[in-house]
Amino acid sequence: MLNAIIPLLLDSLASAALIFFAAVGMTLVFSVLRVLNVAHGSLYSIGGYVAASICLFIASRQLSPYLSFAALLFSAVFVAAIFGPLIERGLVRWTYGKSEAVQILITFGLFLVLEDLQRLIFGVQSFYEDTPMRLLGTTSIGGVVYLNYQIFLIGMAVLVVVGLRLLINHTRLGRLITAVVTDREMAQSIGIDTNRIFILAFSLGVFLAALGGALATPTSGIAPGLGADTMVLAFAVAAIGGLGQIEGAAVASLIVGLARVLAIYLAPSLDAVAPYAAMLVVLLIRPYGLFGSVTARRI
Amino acid sequence: MALKGISIVAARCLSSLDLLFRLDRGLPQSNLRLVVDGLVGALAIGVVATTPVAAQEKPSSLGLGIFTFTSGPAAAYGMPGKNAADLMIDEMNAKGGIEGVPVKATYVDEAQGAQGVIAEYRRLAADAQNQVMVAALSSANCLALAPLAEQLEVPTVGWNCDTHQLLMDGKSKYVFRPNGNTVPEFIAYAIYLLDRKPGVKTVAIINPDYAFGHDAAKIFTAALKALKPDVEIVAELYPKLGAPNYQTEISRLATARPDVVFSNLWGADLENFVRQAAPRGIFTSSQVILALGETVLQRVPLPDGVIVGVLGDGWWMSPDAKANPETVKFAEAYKTRFGEYPVFPSIKMANTLIYVKAAYKAAMLKNGGKWPTRAELADAMKDSKVTTLTGTVQTRADNDGVVDQIVGVTVKAPAQQFPVIGDMVRYKGSSLMPQVGQDPLAWIATLKPEFAKSLPKPGSYK
Amino acid sequence: MRTIAAAAIAVLGLAVLPIAAPWLQFVLTLAIAKGFAALGVAVLLRAGLISIGHAMFFAASAYSVAFLARVGIHDLGLLLILSVLAGGIVGAVVGSFLVRYRAIFFAMLNLAVSMVCYALCAKLYGLTGGTDGMPVPVPTVFGVELAEPAFKSVLFYLSLALMVLVGLSIQRYLNSPLGHALSAVHTNEIRLEYLGIPVWAILLIAYVISAALAGLGGAIAGFAIGRVVPDFAFWTASGHLVLIAVLGGIGGVPGAFIGALFLELLHSAAVTVTDSWNLIVGMTLIIVIMFMPQGIYGLFTRKEASSL
Repeated sequence: MLNAIIPLLLDSLASAALIFFAAVGMTLVFSVLRVLNVAHGSLYSIGGYVAASICLFIASRQLSPYLSFAALLFSAVFVAAIFGPLIERGLVRWTYGKSEAVQILITFGLFLVLEDLQRLIFGVQSFYEDTPMRLLGTTSIGGVVYLNYQIFLIGMAVLVVVGLRLLINHTRLGRLITAVVTDREMAQSIGIDTNRIFILAFSLGVFLAALGGALATPTSGIAPGLGADTMVLAFAVAAIGGLGQIEGAAVASLIVGLARVLAIYLAPSLDAVAPYAAMLVVLLIRPYGLFGSVTARRI
Repeated sequence: MALKGISIVAARCLSSLDLLFRLDRGLPQSNLRLVVDGLVGALAIGVVATTPVAAQEKPSSLGLGIFTFTSGPAAAYGMPGKNAADLMIDEMNAKGGIEGVPVKATYVDEAQGAQGVIAEYRRLAADAQNQVMVAALSSANCLALAPLAEQLEVPTVGWNCDTHQLLMDGKSKYVFRPNGNTVPEFIAYAIYLLDRKPGVKTVAIINPDYAFGHDAAKIFTAALKALKPDVEIVAELYPKLGAPNYQTEISRLATARPDVVFSNLWGADLENFVRQAAPRGIFTSSQVILALGETVLQRVPLPDGVIVGVLGDGWWMSPDAKANPETVKFAEAYKTRFGEYPVFPSIKMANTLIYVKAAYKAAMLKNGGKWPTRAELADAMKDSKVTTLTGTVQTRADNDGVVDQIVGVTVKAPAQQFPVIGDMVRYKGSSLMPQVGQDPLAWIATLKPEFAKSLPKPGSYK
Repeated sequence: MRTIAAAAIAVLGLAVLPIAAPWLQFVLTLAIAKGFAALGVAVLLRAGLISIGHAMFFAASAYSVAFLARVGIHDLGLLLILSVLAGGIVGAVVGSFLVRYRAIFFAMLNLAVSMVCYALCAKLYGLTGGTDGMPVPVPTVFGVELAEPAFKSVLFYLSLALMVLVGLSIQRYLNSPLGHALSAVHTNEIRLEYLGIPVWAILLIAYVISAALAGLGGAIAGFAIGRVVPDFAFWTASGHLVLIAVLGGIGGVPGAFIGALFLELLHSAAVTVTDSWNLIVGMTLIIVIMFMPQGIYGLFTRKEASSL
C-alpha cells in the first residue's frame, strides 16, 4: 500500500511545483493591480527560452556546467527587468479603471504578439537543455527512480511561498503592497507612490513566471505553444486558490497536481480533463476560490 | 493583372458611392475611404496572389504541394522530410526536372491545425499548376485530406501516412500511399520482440494520443496476443501530442515494472521522453521498443539494446542502401548540406518523390508523350511498382504500398559518433499484410505462433 | 434608409465576390460562421458579460452535426436545426448556473467549462475521434445529393441568407425590451431588480440566444471545413471570437460580421506573405481597443454605441 502512495505523492508534489510557479505570479499581479494577465503564460515560456538559450551558450563555450543553475535565476531576472516595466507602463497602466473586458482583450492581444515574437526570436524548433537535471543525479524512493532535480523543484516552490509571505508581512515593500491592495485610493492619498508599487508588483509577477519557465526547462522540452497551454493551467490554479491568494495558489497547485496524477494512474484517458474538472467543481461550490473572499460589487 | 485593375476600380467606385449616399456625413472622408480601400486592397492582394495560371501544353513549372511540420515539437520529424524534399528537388531540377519540366514545391506547415491545412490544400488545388499533393505527415491530417482529395480529384501521395484507416474502404481513386502502413510495421515489432525475448510476460505502452498512437497499440497488442496469448498489458498511457513533460508517466511506467516498454512517440516528444526516461532507469529495468527510434539516433544518446526500426525499409545504412550508389550519394549530399545523415522520414520523402517522378514517366508513356492530366497521373500510380533508394514499393489494388520492414537493436559503432542498428532483420512486406479488403485486426487474430517461425530471424539481414 | 442601402450593397457584393475569385468562397463561408459566433459574444457583451468560453458552443454544434451524420441523419436543413438546438440546450444547461456570476468570475467559469469540453473532446478517442476529430460528410439538400463543389456554393448562399435573416432578427431582439434590459443590467442591475424585472431570466435568455448563435456558426463551419476537431473549443478560439466582436464594433449586428470578414480576408492575404499572423492580429487588437473603441463599425456610424 505504501509503495503505491509514495510515487503518487511525490509525483503530485513535483507536478504541483511546476504549476505553482506558473500561477503564483498571475495571482500576485491580480491582487495588486486587479488585472488578469492573459499573457502570463507567454512570459513563462519566454523565461524558459531565455534559460535554454543561455544554457546552450554555456555548453557551447565549455564553461562550468554549474553555471547553468545561475543561468536559470539570471534569465528570470533578465526577463522580469525587461518585460515587467515595459508591459506595465506601456499597456497595463492604460487599462486601470476600465472594464474587465478591456483588460482581458488588451492582455490577450499582448499574448498573441508575444507568441509570435517568441517564434521570430527563438525559432520554431523545440529546445532541450538538461544540464542542471543531469548534474543533480537521481535517488530511488519506494522502488522508483526519481530525479533529484524534481525534489529541488519542490524545495524551490516552498522557498517561494515562504519568501513571498515574508516579503508581504515583514518588509516595508510588503506593507506598501498590502496597503495598495486593501485600498488604492487611500494609499495614494497618504502619499504612497502607487505607480512605483504597480511596476514592482508586476515585475515580481513576471519574475515568478519566468523563473517557473526557466526551472521547468531542464525537465521538459520547450516548443512553440507552451505559453498557451501553461496559461490556461495557471488560470485554473489561480481560480481554484482564489485570485490574489498566495497560499491559495500553493494549495490549488497541489489539488491540480494530485488530480492529474490520480488520473494518469487510475484513468489515463482523462488526464487532461482533471485540472479543468477540478476547477469547475471548486468554482461551483466556492466561486471566489478556496481562499478568496467575497468583495462587494460597486454599483 | 486584369483582376487587380478591376479591384482598384471597385475600390474607387465604393468610395464614390459613399458620396452618393452621403455616408460620410459628419465623418472625415479620409477615414472611410481608408477603411474601404483597406478592405478592398486586402481582397485584391488575396485574389491576385492566388489567381490560377492558365494551363498550357507543357507547363513552365510543375507545382507540388508538400505538407509537413516545419514548426513545433513535430518539426524534429518533419524538417528532415522537408530537407530531403529540398535536396531531391534541387537534384531533379539540376538534371532538367521531371520530364523536362522544373519542379517547384510549396510547403505547407501542418502545425497550423486541420482547419488551416484543409484551407491550404483547397487553395493549392485551385491552381492548375499544382498537379500532385505530397501529404501528409500526421495521420490526423491524412485522414482529413483524403476525402478532400477524392472530391477535388487531386492525386495525393501520402509520404508519411501510415494509419491503416486511410485506405480501409479500398475505393480510393486519388489517394496513394507508397510507404508501408501500421499493420506490417507493428506486427514486425511484435515478431522481432518475441524472437529476441521469448519469455516476455508484461508489456506497457506509451503512445501519443491520436490515431497513429491508438492504431499502433491495437495492432501491437493484437499481434502479441495472437502469437503469445499469455502476454499481459499492464499499462497503456496516451499523453497528448506535443506534451513536453513525461515525468508522471515515467513514474507510472516504473511502478508497473513491465518486461517491455513499447512506444511510438516521435519528433520532439520522443527526444523529450528519452531524455527524461534514461536517467530514471527505464532503459535498464525494461526492454524498450522505440518504433520511431531511428530518428533520434543522431540526437539523443540511446543505450545499447533498444529495439528500433524505420517503419519500412528506409535506413540509409542498410546493406541494400549501401549497395546502391545513388543512395550513398544522396546520404553524403544530405550530410554535407544539413549536418546530419538522413533519418527515415527523409528517405520516405525522397522515395515518395521518386514515386511521383515514376508516375509522370509512366503516364506520359501511356498517353503518347503529352503532359498528363491529374486523372492520368492517378491512373499511372495504380498498381505501379517503383524502385526506390532503399528497396521497391509495389502499389496494391487498394492503393496501399507494400514495402519491406527493417527492425533491429541499437549498437555502438566504432565508425560513427552515434549508435547504429545491428542484429537486423528484413521482413518481406507482403508476408505481413492482410489481403486487400480484409479487416486487419481480424486477420491478425488468425495468426498462429507458427507464422513467426516461417519468417527470417534477427541478425539475418547483413 | 442609407444604412439599409449600404447593407444591401455589402451583401450583394459578397454574393458576387466568389464569381470573381472562386477560392474566396471557403474563406467567406468561414468568415460568416465566425461572425455568427462573434455576434453571440457581442449580445452578451452588451450586458457587460464577457465570455471567454463561447467556442464550446461552436464546437458543441459542430460535433452534434458529426454525430447526427454518423447516426444517419443526412438532410442539411434538419442537421442545421438540430445542431443549433443542441447548442442552445447546452447553453441553457450551462447558462442556468453561469449567469449568476458577473465580471471576472463569469469569464473564468466560462473558460473552465469550455476547457472541460475541449479536454473531453480531445481525450475520448473512441467516441469523438480524439485530437483527430470526426468527418462531416456532404449532406443532402431537400433530398438532392450534391457534388461537393455544388454543395459548397449552396452552403455559401445559405449562410449569406441566414446572415441577413438572423441579423435582422437579432437586431429586433436587441431593440426590444429584452435587449434594452441587457444594457440596463450593465448600467445598474439592482435598480432593474427593484423595477420588478428578473435579471436572471433576462440574462439566461440572452445566454441561450448567444449559445444558439455560436452553435449556428459552428454548424456552418463544420460543413464548410468537412471535419470537426477539438481545437474548435480551445480557449484561444474563444479569445478570437471576443476579438472579432470588439474589432467589428459592439455597436450593432453588422459589427460582428464586419469584424469577421475583415479578419478572415486579412488572414488569407497575410498568410501568403508572412508566418507571423498572431503578431498582426495582436497588434490590431491593441490598436483598435486603444484608439478605436467603437470598432470598425464605429467608423461608419455616429450613433452612441454602448462603450466598453
